[in-house]
Amino acid sequence: MTNEDPRSAGTPEIDTSIAGRLARAEALIGTPAKVDGFDDRDRHGPSVGERKRPFGRWFRETGWRHIVGVVMLIVSVFPIVFVISASLNPNGTLTGTNALFSVIGLDSYLRILSDPQIPYSAWYANTILIAGITCVATVFLGALAAYSFSRMRFTGRRTGLISIVVVQMFPQMLAVVAIFLLLSTIGDYFPALGLDSRIGLIMVYLGGALGVNTFLMYGFFNTVPASLDEAAKIDGAGHARIFFTIILRLVAPILAVVALLSFITAFNEYIIASVVLIQPENQTLAVGMIKLVSNPRYADWSAFSAGAVMAALPVLVLFLFLQKYIVGGLTAGAVK
Amino acid sequence: MTTNIDEDVATDAVPPTKRQLRAARMAEAAGAGVKVLVIKIVSLGIVDAIAVYALVVLLSQQQWLFAAIVAAVALIFNWIYFSRRRLPAKYLAPSILFLAVFQIFTLLYTGYIAMTNYGTGHVGSEEQAVSSLMSSALERVEDSPTYPLTVVDRLGQLGMLVTDPEGDAQLGTTGTPLQEVQATFEDGKAVATDGYTTLTFAEVIARTDEIVELVVPASDDPNDGALRTTDGSNAYLYTSALEYDEAAGTMTDLRSGTVYSDIGTGAFTSADGEELLPGWQIFIGLDNFVLALTEESIRGPLLYVTIWTFVFAIVSVGSTFFLGLFLAIVFNDARMRGRKWYRAGLILPYAFPAFLSILIWAGLMNESFGFINQVLLGGASIPWLTDPLLAKVSVLIVNLWLGFPYMFLVCTGALQAIPDELSEAATVDGARPWAIFRLIKLPLLLVTVTPLLIASFAFNFNNFLLIYALTNGGPRDPNATIPVGFTDILISMVYKVAFTGQNRDYGLGAAFSILIFIVVAVIAIVLFRRTKALEELN
Amino acid sequence: MKVNKKSAAAAGALITVGMLALAGCAGGGATPSESEEASAGAVTVWVDAERVDALQGAADAYTEETGVEVELVGKDNATIKDDFIQQVPTGRGPDITMGAHDWLGELSTNGVVAPLELGDSASGYLDVAITASTYDGTVYMLPYAVENIAVLRNADIIPEASTSFDDMIAKGLAAGLTQPFVVEQGAEGNPYHLYPFQTAFDAPVFGSDDNGYNAEDLQLGSAGGEQFAAWLSSQGKNGTAVFNTDIDGAIAKENFLNGTSAFWLTGPWNVGSAVDAGINVAIDPVPSPTGEVAQPFAGVKGFFLSSESENAVAATDFLVNYLGTEEVQLELFEAGNILPALKSAADTASSDPIIEGFATVGADAVPMPAIPAMGSVWEYWGIAQAEVINGADPTTTWQKLAADVQAAIE
Repeated sequence: MTNEDPRSAGTPEIDTSIAGRLARAEALIGTPAKVDGFDDRDRHGPSVGERKRPFGRWFRETGWRHIVGVVMLIVSVFPIVFVISASLNPNGTLTGTNALFSVIGLDSYLRILSDPQIPYSAWYANTILIAGITCVATVFLGALAAYSFSRMRFTGRRTGLISIVVVQMFPQMLAVVAIFLLLSTIGDYFPALGLDSRIGLIMVYLGGALGVNTFLMYGFFNTVPASLDEAAKIDGAGHARIFFTIILRLVAPILAVVALLSFITAFNEYIIASVVLIQPENQTLAVGMIKLVSNPRYADWSAFSAGAVMAALPVLVLFLFLQKYIVGGLTAGAVK
Repeated sequence: MTTNIDEDVATDAVPPTKRQLRAARMAEAAGAGVKVLVIKIVSLGIVDAIAVYALVVLLSQQQWLFAAIVAAVALIFNWIYFSRRRLPAKYLAPSILFLAVFQIFTLLYTGYIAMTNYGTGHVGSEEQAVSSLMSSALERVEDSPTYPLTVVDRLGQLGMLVTDPEGDAQLGTTGTPLQEVQATFEDGKAVATDGYTTLTFAEVIARTDEIVELVVPASDDPNDGALRTTDGSNAYLYTSALEYDEAAGTMTDLRSGTVYSDIGTGAFTSADGEELLPGWQIFIGLDNFVLALTEESIRGPLLYVTIWTFVFAIVSVGSTFFLGLFLAIVFNDARMRGRKWYRAGLILPYAFPAFLSILIWAGLMNESFGFINQVLLGGASIPWLTDPLLAKVSVLIVNLWLGFPYMFLVCTGALQAIPDELSEAATVDGARPWAIFRLIKLPLLLVTVTPLLIASFAFNFNNFLLIYALTNGGPRDPNATIPVGFTDILISMVYKVAFTGQNRDYGLGAAFSILIFIVVAVIAIVLFRRTKALEELN
Repeated sequence: MKVNKKSAAAAGALITVGMLALAGCAGGGATPSESEEASAGAVTVWVDAERVDALQGAADAYTEETGVEVELVGKDNATIKDDFIQQVPTGRGPDITMGAHDWLGELSTNGVVAPLELGDSASGYLDVAITASTYDGTVYMLPYAVENIAVLRNADIIPEASTSFDDMIAKGLAAGLTQPFVVEQGAEGNPYHLYPFQTAFDAPVFGSDDNGYNAEDLQLGSAGGEQFAAWLSSQGKNGTAVFNTDIDGAIAKENFLNGTSAFWLTGPWNVGSAVDAGINVAIDPVPSPTGEVAQPFAGVKGFFLSSESENAVAATDFLVNYLGTEEVQLELFEAGNILPALKSAADTASSDPIIEGFATVGADAVPMPAIPAMGSVWEYWGIAQAEVINGADPTTTWQKLAADVQAAIE
């Protein structure tokens, strides 16, 4: 539990300010991998005045990539086009007709937003709240765990690492029953944490905080050299301080990745949420919307599609916002 | 963990003076920071306060076990965080707490259920089964009238004041047969009598348990039946077809004379094996596991389902990885403009909720009316989801569509990380692009990506949602005795066998789940060790 | 960092203060025993999500009259039965749930429903409703709706009802339609919708006796059944292609709404969308392929009482004396458009010609079997029909079906 590494012979005149420490950190790690495509400065991009290449050469080098891109784009987006088409057809079914965009009307959107039976905005708010808190907490707990696995040596470390991944592989067939019993028992004594509470659901999700995501972070933490920790220790920083002020900032990219992944997972999770949340005002988008179509006789696919289109927005927004971190984030973990 | 000045000083030959020690302590305290100390105390204070509150609530309800657990956990937390050492524990404790409560408990619960006979007909306790059997055995005495009822009470014992068909009032209590009494009437119904207080409806509801137990014999002859009430305002005459002997643990059918006894199988069973249902839940040890491995009806399909499950998982991981990698390479060229938008579009399948996309694909692939056949292929009739082989291909196609964005993301990032100097150096040495890729980039890529590939394999091995929503395992195998189909994977087959239909066996399903888990876990661990995925990278 | 006296003292002070504060809150709040008393006066009712509003009036009226709180919980239709069976034995289930009569076999086997004494009010319900609510001689359900399928006819295209199955197809073809008749199927078949044709060949699933359906008397594989299979094959993929397993509910609906088909075999749940689309809908009995009457299944919906209900008296009172009144039955009718089970309410509702049309067909309907053996039938029935429709040999397939079901029942 104590690092036995000898104190390194530090350089004379160490700049002990935060800025100085960060500068030393960056120097130790090396230049952060440049991220191309997501910032405006392309490393080797064409600059104004460069001679344009002849078409044949352009095509061989770049044009065919556009073709691939367009084809893949169509393939990716196509089923989603169906959803949008269904959402604009007020009486439509999901797959009943192949005539896309035959009817255009915003009735379904209005219906789902204003129907008193369908508390859509409550679902929206609940889902963002639950997914948001879950993702922040997951990142925090996972980072703590990954840091300890990466920096510290203790018995059971390797076993622990394997276990947290293996535990997540367990088939969750009876999880529903187990969680129901657990939360209803807890709810008997602490109603705020039991069934039909959002806090209860968040706690269940946090049970999965230690998992493959922690492994991702562990890999990334390993790339931050231990000598950085040493340098900070020389300056007298305690372990908590090292963690919070220095390390976390350096691993911010992977934190963004895990935040996005856990947000998406919590956002779309249905099975556990459907058993924990009972009152319609407490339910999430996934639970509420599936209830709209679960009875095949009264299924309102059009409203469901409208709801799904609107529900995809937070994820997409978060996605676009975190894109540059994602690409930058998954990289540095790979470098030996 | 911190190398403090004390230890450094100790390496010197001269023992430290008191003054030096005090200076050391002051320096260290200053270095540690007051802010951190305050945060630590406040957080622990809150945690302890919550723990104490929980203890108060639990103890007031005499839940000794839970209170003990809460106390133990709180004490461990305090010990961890107040101690100087125990550093990894400080970082891991909260996560492990959540993991233990919500994930490990689920594991243990599944294990427990696997060792019981929990399923259709065995969902409750023996007490509940007995009470259910007895209440279903009640039969109305033929042609008996409705007796308007007023519930009365004397000195805490309830009685029934009924109006018989002739308009007279009769009174009885549990065990005491009906006798005629004088009563005050209201609209032809007896509502009060001397010596007894009439209960209001609210009072009746407050004493529901006693009302349900109220059984008034009509006369001294048991064959005349007894009066019972279910709604507090009417009573009816019943006889019971079953008799329960608690001491002997038997149920006797009074009409046929058959005796059903509790022989330890979780239901009352007669001599020739006939069972009275509902039964109850009992512990049966490892019987479910034995059954899972030897059950005849599953044996036939089990082989091809297992093979398909492996094929499905491996091909899914492989195809998503290679498509993702290919696309990452395609878009890795800095000279290509608009990559940001291509990438954003390619991410969409991952961002949309999976069940919705899968349902759309099922519609697209409909043989007679689906978009693919009707519009894209101009009226072809390809049985995408109904031909055994094509259905498997369709499943893989949809899984590829769902999964390639994730791999694309990962590979994009991993490719960026490989320093250009490596490939430039290789180019200078005369290596072709493909060789560079194969010998330099790919191996470095696989180092990061391997754990994710292993995890993806495990995820797809148990990818219940896709199979259920797209084909529900179909097309069905007409030769199998269980409703299994050609695209069923192990987990969906288990679900069909144990969790659906009129005769569910959750215990068997749990046993299956555990067996599947063991298989997947062993494979994953072996792969982890072989690929040395856990070795530190620096 | 070291544990020194100062930090320990500070922590201790903080804990004490926090504890006092929280204990104060705990003391002020309701103790569990108090909340138990409050819940003794409450009844929890699980309702299909679509029908919550319909019951709200009755719930409020009951609370006002008796002081018992009625809590309505909207549940997902697909999971309500399983959740009920799973939660009741734990003691945390509802007091009452909405459901369908064919659940009774499973509910009774699991011991989760309590008998319901309807008393004199039983005679006020439609006969088929009471029969369906009875299982093994005991009544368990309070019925509120009787549902059956019938043929929806587009009266603008076909002004007259048809006299037989062939007549119906002929009329449709004469009117220029390529697919005159449509019924919802699916890859695994849909025996529920095809049942009236099967009964027309005198091949019910089980024979009946005094106690209802007799699980030992499987009549599925009788000579009539094989004739039905042969007829089905002639109308399937290799024949007239009237039946097509690729047509699901959505496609069937689409075909009727856009005029591709003029006859749609479906239930009252689809009438609303047809009428909304402007179709002039008429309800016909199911035209028979033989001379016998084509009897569809009747599905009776009602309320069940939990065997572990802690408030059984209030729950029973609410069920029998409130949900069984004409007013509430009509409210539920408004929500779902299905014929009410109470005779007086059914008469009122039948003033609507569409409901009257369904009721006429319903007079011939037979309740779906609720016995546990029926579960084995469902497992193989649909898939066998789908195979026959898609060209498999009718006789051998049907015989295999009967053999499989018989083996599964034992």
